[in-house]
Amino acid sequence: MDIFRRNNVTVAGNPQGPTVVLAHGFGCDQNMWRLTVPALADAYRLVLFDYVGCGRSDLTAFSEERYASLEGYARDVVEVCEALDLRDATFVGHSVSSMVGVLAAETAPERIGSLVMVAPSPRYVDDEGYHGGFSAQDIDELLASLDSNYLGWSAAMAPVIMGHPDRPELGEELKNSFCATDPDMARVFARTTFLSDTRDDLGRVKVPTLVLECVQDVIAPREVGAFVHQAIPGSSLVTLDTTGHCPHLSAPEATNEAIRDFLAGLPR
Amino acid sequence: MIHTDQQPEPYESQNEGAPDIQSHRDSTPDAAFAALLEDSAEELYEAAPCGYLSTLMDGTIAKINATLLDWLGLERDAVLGRMRFADLLTVGGKLYHETHFAPLLRMQGDISGIAMELRCANGDRMPVLVSSVVKYGESGEPLLIRTTLFDARDRRAYEEELLRGRKAAEEARRQAEADRARLQDALTVLQKSLLPDTLPTIPGVETAAHYHIASPDRLGGDFYDVFPLDGERFAFFLGDVCGKGPQAAAVTSLTRYTLRAAALHDADPASALATLNTVLHDRYTGSGDPRYCTAIFGILTPGASPGRLTIQLASGGHPPAVVLRADGTAAFLPTPGGLLVGVLPDAHFATAETVLTPGDTLLLYTDGLTEARTGADRTSLYGDEALLAFAADHAGKSTVDVIGALTDLLASFGDGLDDDTALLALGVPPLTAQP
Amino acid sequence: MLKITARDAATGPVLEVSGDLDYRNATHLRERATATVLRPGQRLILDLSGLEFCDSSGISALIAAHHHATTLGANIALAAVPAPTLRILRLIGLDTIIPLHPDSDPTALA
Repeated sequence: MDIFRRNNVTVAGNPQGPTVVLAHGFGCDQNMWRLTVPALADAYRLVLFDYVGCGRSDLTAFSEERYASLEGYARDVVEVCEALDLRDATFVGHSVSSMVGVLAAETAPERIGSLVMVAPSPRYVDDEGYHGGFSAQDIDELLASLDSNYLGWSAAMAPVIMGHPDRPELGEELKNSFCATDPDMARVFARTTFLSDTRDDLGRVKVPTLVLECVQDVIAPREVGAFVHQAIPGSSLVTLDTTGHCPHLSAPEATNEAIRDFLAGLPR
Repeated sequence: MIHTDQQPEPYESQNEGAPDIQSHRDSTPDAAFAALLEDSAEELYEAAPCGYLSTLMDGTIAKINATLLDWLGLERDAVLGRMRFADLLTVGGKLYHETHFAPLLRMQGDISGIAMELRCANGDRMPVLVSSVVKYGESGEPLLIRTTLFDARDRRAYEEELLRGRKAAEEARRQAEADRARLQDALTVLQKSLLPDTLPTIPGVETAAHYHIASPDRLGGDFYDVFPLDGERFAFFLGDVCGKGPQAAAVTSLTRYTLRAAALHDADPASALATLNTVLHDRYTGSGDPRYCTAIFGILTPGASPGRLTIQLASGGHPPAVVLRADGTAAFLPTPGGLLVGVLPDAHFATAETVLTPGDTLLLYTDGLTEARTGADRTSLYGDEALLAFAADHAGKSTVDVIGALTDLLASFGDGLDDDTALLALGVPPLTAQP
Repeated sequence: MLKITARDAATGPVLEVSGDLDYRNATHLRERATATVLRPGQRLILDLSGLEFCDSSGISALIAAHHHATTLGANIALAAVPAPTLRILRLIGLDTIIPLHPDSDPTALA
């Protein structure tokens, strides 16, 4: 199988530099890194990709079974690393991708030598002694609204309901097309993401790790950032003065600086 | 302010003939026009038929119109500077906002027509369509976000209707497919029950059979069987029930068990067919839905010397068997005049006898083979002559090879073969040279 | 496509059968033939000159027509049977039960 095509792999930056893999989270695709790439391109070789089911990945490669667990997404990461024969790369994951990176590093320790976790959360639902930010009821409501297909892609709603796959121009018209993933696949990704609990995996991380959190983030509140930082031995935590869940877009300079500092401090 | 209602226009006072009517007629458009002019930008903003919202880049609400406050059931003071846009949304909307909406807006500078739900103070949810645009400063830095929200309740109701319709259609389709699959399974099992799983091993005799199913939806009426009669002799039959479908399958089943039972009682081939004839005639003729079949029934008797096999058979309206000889010739074993089984209470069945020696094979078939339509336009029938020639070409081969060649022949007919076809070959293996 | 047209001849009713007589439509002929009114001694003639195809279901319908006629004390004949069907009728021995006439002209059959 052609992994490059399947995951829409893009390689950019300095071919002689150490390799940094940039992995998007639930939501859009590798375009999310558009403000990060220029800041790292001079010194690093950058690998970007789309998870299967997102962006310009090969949608025919999607399997509901495989992507019903974060391990399925971690296999995408490992397979991309293998296809490029990466050694000791830095994996930068946004949101749920941070945890995908943890799983991938555990599976293929020789491929991933360090982790940057941007707004990570190992569990979104509150638990005894754990504040994830969402009640179980919240998540049920989210999944129900995803199932009823009422969020976001309404502009394409009627054509989707009526089933006009023969009219691709309906999709082309969507200005937001690069984030408008197939609703069914997005639903699987959302379910996998918001029902995941990877807290136990954090303690097994053995590589240098940077945790980035935002001052105000509905999806990954600061309690969660602190939890991740404490759970990963030897990790460092940087709190970025920005709101929302995408500091690499809302505060690109501060985010890039934190990543660059971390990369510069890695043993080479 | 412009006042028109209290001050008559100059021409009105000059037209004393019908001033009231004139004045009354003119007052309505005047008032409407005046109200339009009266509408200020501020009034338009506050009372617009859509929600307006301005936020800082972090989502903090800086300005909101009365329409939106009314939808939300919130006071202005509770919102301004205290809530973020995402706080107005349901949980699903909030997550969508953080994972899709906000990043896209950052990247594109604008986003439009996104469906979300407002969470109202009274607990209601209100579907809206949201569009946002970023206002940039002179140096290109993002300053604030302007957002418009349209009431999408009617649209949502319509979409729900569509969705329900689609789900119902999908469910019906799934159900139909499941029913079809179940029926298919049942038909396959039933079809298999009409044929033997395996042919018995007969010392010194080689057997082979093939059944071609023309349509998995239509139970075919062809049948065959081979079974031991006593220590030495074996019986065999092959036939074709008129018609198709479940009724034909029922006749096939009855036929198969009748012939087996009849053979054990009286192994004479014509007697076995006579018994079947009586059963079918009694069972079906009075029912208003008479059922018939054609069949060849035969007995294999090993000869006193090894390699000799005597075959006695009877036919009721069935195409004649073919005998393939070791010397490369083939000929029909004629059974003329045997009547279709089940038509008349007293029927005549034609009998024949032959002896097979090493390398010889007896071939029984149903008319699917000879009636197959051939030629480019599918108008000619394969026919007896072609079958005989084909048999001669394969004479001397093992029964397995003969059946294999015929199976390939059936496949080569393609859609010219639209009937079920049964093939049964019984032969004496050629003598092998001593090593 | 199967087409059945009825007419009367001096000998009794005539059913002209044309087109394909197969498992899809043989019941039409069966029902038509068994609903045909016959007086004892009359002859039901099935004129098959327009018959293009006949499978075993068609044969069943012909036999049903035969039974109907004989039950009422009438008889039956097949006229102008096309060669392929004739071959089948001979094979299954039906030619020994039902009289066959080469001609479809009822006056010739009378």
